[in-house]
Amino acid sequence: MNRRTFLKIAGLSSFSLASGCSDPQKNLFSLVEHPDDMVTGQASWYATTCRECPAGCGVLARNREGRVVKLEGNPKHPVNRGALCMRGQAALQGVYHPARLRAPMLREGTRWRETSFAEAEALVKERIGNAAAQGPRRIRMLTETVGGTLMSLFRSTLHGWRSEKPVVFEPFAYESLRAANEIVFGIDGLFSYRMEEADVLVSFGADFLETWLSPVEYARKFKEMHAFSEKGKGVFFSVGAYQSLTCANADLWIGCHPGGEAAVALGLVREALEAGRGGHLRDFIRSTILQTAREYTPAHVTRVAGVEPERYQSLVRRLLAADRPLVLGTGSGDCGENALQTNVAANLLNFILDPDLRRIDFDRRYRVETAGRRSDIIAFFQKAKEERDEVLLLYQVNPVYHMPAEGAVNRAFARKGPFKVSFSAFMDETAEKADLVFPVQLPLESWDDYAGASGFISLQQPAMGSLTDAPCLGDLFLRLGAGNSDQPPDYRSYLAERHMRRGTISSEKRWLLALRDGGVEAPVTSRERSQLVPYKVMDDFHTLAEPNDGALVFAAAPSIRFFDGRGANRPWLAEIPDPITKVAWQTPVLVHPDTLRQNGLAQGDIVKLQSRQASLEAMIYEADSVRPNLLLMSIGQGHTAMGRYAEGEGQNPLKLLPSGADPRHGGAFFSIDPVTIHSAGLRRELAHTDGSRIQHGRKIALTLSTEELDAGRPVEREGLTMWDFPLTLPLPEGYDSHRDFYPPHEHAGYRWSMTVDLDRCIGCGACAAACYAENNLGVVGEQEIINGREMSWLRVERYHDPSAMEKIIFLPMLCQHCDNAPCESVCPVYAPHHNKEGLNNQIYNRCIGTRFCAQNCPYKVRRFNWYTWQWPKPLNLQLNPDVTVRSKGVMEKCSFCIQRIKDAHNTAKNENRPIADGEVIPACVQTCPTGALVFGNLMDPNSRVRNLAEDRRAYQVMGYLNTKPAVIYLKKVVQAV
Amino acid sequence: MPLTFAKIDQTVLDTLRPAPKSYWLVVLLVFAGLLAGAACWAYQILTGLGVAGMNNPVHWGTYLINFVFWVGIAHSGTLISAILHLFRAGWRNPIARAAETMTVFAVCTAGLFPFIHLGRVWMVYYMLPFPNQRTLWPNFQSPLVFDVVAISTYLIVSSLFWYTGMLPDLAIIRDRAEGMRKKIFTVLSLGWTGEHEQWRHYVRIYLFFAALATPLVISVHSVVSWDFALGVVPGWHTTIFAPYFVAGAIHSGLAMVLTLMIPLRKIFHYEEIITVRVLEQVAKTIIFTGLIVAYAYGTEFFIAWYSHNTVEIEVFLWRAAGHYSVGFWIMVTCNTVAPLLFFFKKIRTSIKWLFVISIVVNIGMWFERFVIIVTSVGRDFLPHAWGVYAPTLVEFGIMIGSFCLFFFLYLLFVKHLPSVSMTEMKETLEKGGSHGG
Repeated sequence: MNRRTFLKIAGLSSFSLASGCSDPQKNLFSLVEHPDDMVTGQASWYATTCRECPAGCGVLARNREGRVVKLEGNPKHPVNRGALCMRGQAALQGVYHPARLRAPMLREGTRWRETSFAEAEALVKERIGNAAAQGPRRIRMLTETVGGTLMSLFRSTLHGWRSEKPVVFEPFAYESLRAANEIVFGIDGLFSYRMEEADVLVSFGADFLETWLSPVEYARKFKEMHAFSEKGKGVFFSVGAYQSLTCANADLWIGCHPGGEAAVALGLVREALEAGRGGHLRDFIRSTILQTAREYTPAHVTRVAGVEPERYQSLVRRLLAADRPLVLGTGSGDCGENALQTNVAANLLNFILDPDLRRIDFDRRYRVETAGRRSDIIAFFQKAKEERDEVLLLYQVNPVYHMPAEGAVNRAFARKGPFKVSFSAFMDETAEKADLVFPVQLPLESWDDYAGASGFISLQQPAMGSLTDAPCLGDLFLRLGAGNSDQPPDYRSYLAERHMRRGTISSEKRWLLALRDGGVEAPVTSRERSQLVPYKVMDDFHTLAEPNDGALVFAAAPSIRFFDGRGANRPWLAEIPDPITKVAWQTPVLVHPDTLRQNGLAQGDIVKLQSRQASLEAMIYEADSVRPNLLLMSIGQGHTAMGRYAEGEGQNPLKLLPSGADPRHGGAFFSIDPVTIHSAGLRRELAHTDGSRIQHGRKIALTLSTEELDAGRPVEREGLTMWDFPLTLPLPEGYDSHRDFYPPHEHAGYRWSMTVDLDRCIGCGACAAACYAENNLGVVGEQEIINGREMSWLRVERYHDPSAMEKIIFLPMLCQHCDNAPCESVCPVYAPHHNKEGLNNQIYNRCIGTRFCAQNCPYKVRRFNWYTWQWPKPLNLQLNPDVTVRSKGVMEKCSFCIQRIKDAHNTAKNENRPIADGEVIPACVQTCPTGALVFGNLMDPNSRVRNLAEDRRAYQVMGYLNTKPAVIYLKKVVQAV
Repeated sequence: MPLTFAKIDQTVLDTLRPAPKSYWLVVLLVFAGLLAGAACWAYQILTGLGVAGMNNPVHWGTYLINFVFWVGIAHSGTLISAILHLFRAGWRNPIARAAETMTVFAVCTAGLFPFIHLGRVWMVYYMLPFPNQRTLWPNFQSPLVFDVVAISTYLIVSSLFWYTGMLPDLAIIRDRAEGMRKKIFTVLSLGWTGEHEQWRHYVRIYLFFAALATPLVISVHSVVSWDFALGVVPGWHTTIFAPYFVAGAIHSGLAMVLTLMIPLRKIFHYEEIITVRVLEQVAKTIIFTGLIVAYAYGTEFFIAWYSHNTVEIEVFLWRAAGHYSVGFWIMVTCNTVAPLLFFFKKIRTSIKWLFVISIVVNIGMWFERFVIIVTSVGRDFLPHAWGVYAPTLVEFGIMIGSFCLFFFLYLLFVKHLPSVSMTEMKETLEKGGSHGG
C-alpha cells in the first residue's frame, strides 16, 4: 500500500464514520416533487369540522410541512363564523397526545398485548362473523354522536350482521329539554334559538356560553343581543342555584334553591297569564294552566324557591314588558329534580309571551338530539345480560367514566361473555375494560361529514397525514361489512357517493367547492308542531318536588374546559384556569362562605363528601357564586385512566351521583341530596392563578351604567392621578412636555394597537387557548401553577365587585405594548425593544434574565422561563414553526403575534400596497366568539381600532402611570334591572 | 502595662504565627460550606432558575436581597477608614484595617449575586460595553448598568485603598520573616524602606484615596437603591431611597464590624488595642444610623398616606399587617428599637450586649431588604397578579455558601495579614490622632 492509497482509505473511512453516526433528523430536505398544496415555509389551510363536542363548529386547519399546527374557526361556517372555543383550540393536542395508542391492544388475561392492525382487524372480523352466524342481534354498538353518513354506514353494516342500529351515547343528552319540547310542541328534539333577536333573555340554567347545545354559536348570538350598541342593550336574567360562566354574564342572577327554578318559571307563567298575556290560547288551555300555576304567587315563589322578592319582581316586570322575550330552560347538566317542569314552564312562557314563537327555529335542529336518553343507555347495558350478544362495539364513548355508579355498566363490563371492542385512540376507563382496544383515526385525520345543526352539512377531511397506522373507522367498517352489499372501496368514496345520491352535492366540482368551504347547505325538513295538550302539559307539575332549602345538595356542573371529560387529557385545557374560580389542574368543590363557617372549614381544606352511595375527597374553594346549601364541582377530571395529563388529575364528581335515570324524562341525575361534608383533616394548596378576587378600587376593569351613557359625556377635569389622568394614545399626539421626559416615538406607517370591549368579553378563555397554540407557550403543570409560574401571555382576569360578590367582570390582560414602556428602560441589554411600528419586542437571544422588566411591568404580563419547558413527543409536532421555542432563563411575553404582522407585511409588499385594516389578526382576536377584541393600526384614522379608541367608553388600565398602553379597553356597560 | 510600639508589633505579629489545627478545621468547614453553595449554583444553572422560589410577580428573591445585604455590609469599612479618617476620628484606627478588609470581601461576595440571579449567566458579557459587529451597547438608562459601573469602581478603589494602607505593615512583616515568607512579603511590600520621601508620598496618597473613597460610600449604595427607586413599583418608586439605603448600609456595616471585631479581639488578645472605648464609639454611631433608618421607615408610611394613592397605601399596609408582617416587625424591632439600648452606657460597654445587638441588627437589616424587595412587587398594581414568594433550599444553600465564602476569605486574612494597622496604631500612640494629623 502506498501513501496515496492509505490516505484515500483513511479519508474515506473517517468520512463514513462521521456521516454514518450523525442524526438524520437534523437534516431538512426540500421535496424535489412536492404535492401541490405543500410548499415549504407556507401554510396550507384545510376546512374541516371540530368534533370536540356535538356542536360541530367549522374549522380551518393550518398545515405546515405536513402537520397541523393550529386550528382556527372557519369564517364561512354558519355555526361558529370563524370563532372557536378553547376546547376547539385544544383539539390538536388530542392528535399529538403522547398517550395516544399507536397500535391495537389485545387483552390476554390481565395483561395487554400490542398487536398489529391487520391482526386486530382479522380478529374483529372473525368474532363478528362467528357472532352473526349464531343468530340475530348478536352485535351491538354504542357510539358518540356521529354524522349522518357514518351513522348510515353503521346501520347498514350492523343490518348486514342482522343486528340493530347503534345507540348514541352522550353524557349530556338534554333529556328533560327534549321531553319538554315533546310535551309542549309535540316534537322530541332540540331546536335552535334566535337569541340575537331577543331583547329580554331569561335562562333557567342553560349554560349556553359553555357547553349548552352550541356554545360558540350562542356566545355570538348572545352578544348580538346583549352587547351595547346603537340599538341599546338587551337584558339577561339567569335563574339558578349557582353562577356558571353564563350566569356570571347575566345582568341579574336570581339565586334560588337547587330545584327552585321550576317554581320561578311557573310563577312567571302565572304572572304572564294574570297580566292578560296568552290571549291566543284557547280558554280551556288557559284555565288549565292557570289552575296549576295559580298558587305560584310572588310570595309563594319567593318562599319556595328562596329567591329575593325584589329580584323576582324585576324579572317579572322586565319579562312582561319585553317586546321580544326568549326563555331558555335548564343547562346541559340539570341541577335539581325539577328539570322537566322547568323546561316545560320555560317552553310555555315562550308560547304565552310570543304567540308565533319567532325566536325558536323549529327547523334547525341539533344533531345531539339523536343521542339516546340515559335510560336507553342503561337499557342497552342491561340487555347485555338478557340477550346473548357476542360482540360489543364502542366508538368514542366512555360510559365507565361517565356512569361510575351504574350497576348495569359495571356488570356488562365485568361479564366475560361478549367480545368488547373499543375504537378509542386512548386507553381510557372504558377501553381499559375492553377485550380489544382498536385505535382509529381522529377526526382531523379522516374523511367524514357532520351537521351539528340541520341546514348545513359540515365536511371533514384529513388535514394532515396520519400519525399512526390506525385506519379510518369508516374504512374499517366498509371492510368489516364487505360482502353485505356492493359498497364503495373506501369511506371517502362512500361519503361522496352518498352526498351525490342524496343530491346535497351535485357534481365533482361542487364536491371540491364544498370541501374548500367546509361544507354544504342542506335542505331541512319542516315538521308541523302539534297542538298543545294541556292535561299532558300540566301533568308533571303535580309531582313538582319542593325545592331543597335545608340539606346540602351536591351538583356536578358541565365544564367549559373539559366538556364532559373527553377533553381532560389536553394539557392546555387543564392549564388554563377555570373562568370563575381561576383554579387550574384541580377540581375543587365550591362551597358558600356561610356553609364553610357553619362547618368550621376553610378554603384549601380537603373534605370528604358523602352521598348515599359513594364518597369523594376534594379540596374546598370558597365561592360566593353558589347558594349556601349547594356544593358544586365541575365535570371532566378525575380520570383513573386515559394517560398523561388526565390520569390522576382532579376529581370526578360523577362518582357521587345516583345511578339510574329520571323516570319522567329518562335523563341522568347531575345532583344528589342529601350529602354530608366532613373535614378529612388535610390541607392542600389551590392551584389558582388570581392574587385577589377584587380590584381594590383601582382603575382596571371599569363599568359604565346605561344612565351615565344616556347622560352624555361629562366634563372631566384632567389631572395626574389614577382617576383623572386622561386617555393618552401611544402616538406622538400623546406627548405632553409637562408629563414626558423623553421625546415621543415616531412610528413608520403603523402603530399596532388593540381594543378590548369589556362589554363583549364573556370570560370564556378561548383567546388564552389560541395564544397557547399560536405562540408555543409552555405548560407548567399543577405544582408550578401553585408556585405562580404559569406562562400564559394572555390571561383573563376575573374580578368580583366587593359590594356584591356575584357581580363579575372579566378583563383579558396581555402585553399593553406601551409607548412609554417601563420594561424597556430598565433592561441593561435592550432585550425589550421598541420597534418602528410601536411593538414592544422581546429579543429572546439578547435576554440574559435579570427579570427587571417583569418587576417593573405594572401589568405583570411578562413571563419568565423558569425551566426549559417540555413538549413530550409527539406534542412537539404542534409547535408553530414561525415562533421561536424559548429555553430556560429568558423572558417572554405577548408579541401581538408579530409573525402574523410580518406575514402581512410580506404579502402587502409583494402586492405593493399598505396593509389593509383587518388584515392582521392575532390568534386571540381571531378566535374570540363575541368579537370583543379588535386589532389594527392606530395611525390609520379610519381603522376600526382608531374609531374604537375614540369611543367614549375607552380608557387605559392604570393609565396614570403614563405608560401610554396600546391596548385600549372599552368599559363594560351595566344596567340596573 | 501601657501600650508601647514594641508591644503593638508583638501583638499583631503574634497573630501571624503558624495556626493551630483547630483553625484549619474551621477553615475547612467553611470551605465545605462554600463548596455546597457552589454546588447549589451549578445545579441551578443546569436546571433553570425554577429551583429557586421566585415566581410571577416576585421575580426577585434572596439573590438580590443578599446582594443588597452584602453591598450594605461593604459600606462601613470605607466609612471607617476614609470618612472617619478625614474627620480625624482617632478611635477608628484600631478597627480600620479589619473593617476595610470586611469591605473588600463583602463587595466580592455581593458581586457574585447578580451573576447567581441571572437567568442566563453565560450571556452576562452582554452587559459590558464591548465593541461588537452588531454594534449593540448596553442600555445606559438601566439602573443595572449603573450598578455594574458603581460596584466595580467601588471594588477597585476600596481594594487599592486597603492595599496602600497595608504597605508599611507588610514591610514590618517582611523584615521579621524568613524563607519563603520573606520572598512573598518582599514582593507584596513593593520595596518599602521607610524613607522619609516614601512616608511623604504614602501619607499624601492615603489622604487622596480617602477623599476619593468618601463619595463612593455615598454613591454606591445610592446607585443600588436606584435599582428600585427608578422602577415604577409602589414601595420602590420614591426619592428617599438613596439616603435611606446609604444610612441602612452603614447601619448594617457597623453592626457587622462589631460582630467581627469582638471575636477577633478576644481570640487575638487585642483588648488593649481595640479597647472597649472603640467599640463604644461604634455603638454610638449605630444609634445614629438606627435613628436615620427609623426616620426613613416613618417617612415611607407618611408619604404613602399623604399621597392618597391607593396602590402605595395598599403596599405599606400589607407590609405591616399582611403575609410578611413578621418580617416587617423583625425589621423594625431589630433595626430601630434594639440599637436604642445603646443609649445605656452599661449596655454599650458590655461586650456581650454589643455582640448580641450587632447580630440582631444584622438580622434586621437582612429582613429590611427582604421586606423592600418582596413585599413591593408581591402586591403591586394589578390585584389579579398578586402573589407571595418563599425561598427554597437551593436559595438557602447559596446564601449559606455566600456567608462561608466571606468567612473563608476573612479567616485566611486574619492569619496571614496584619488585621490591625500597626502603623496607624503607632501614630495614635504618638499623637493621639491619625496620619498627617
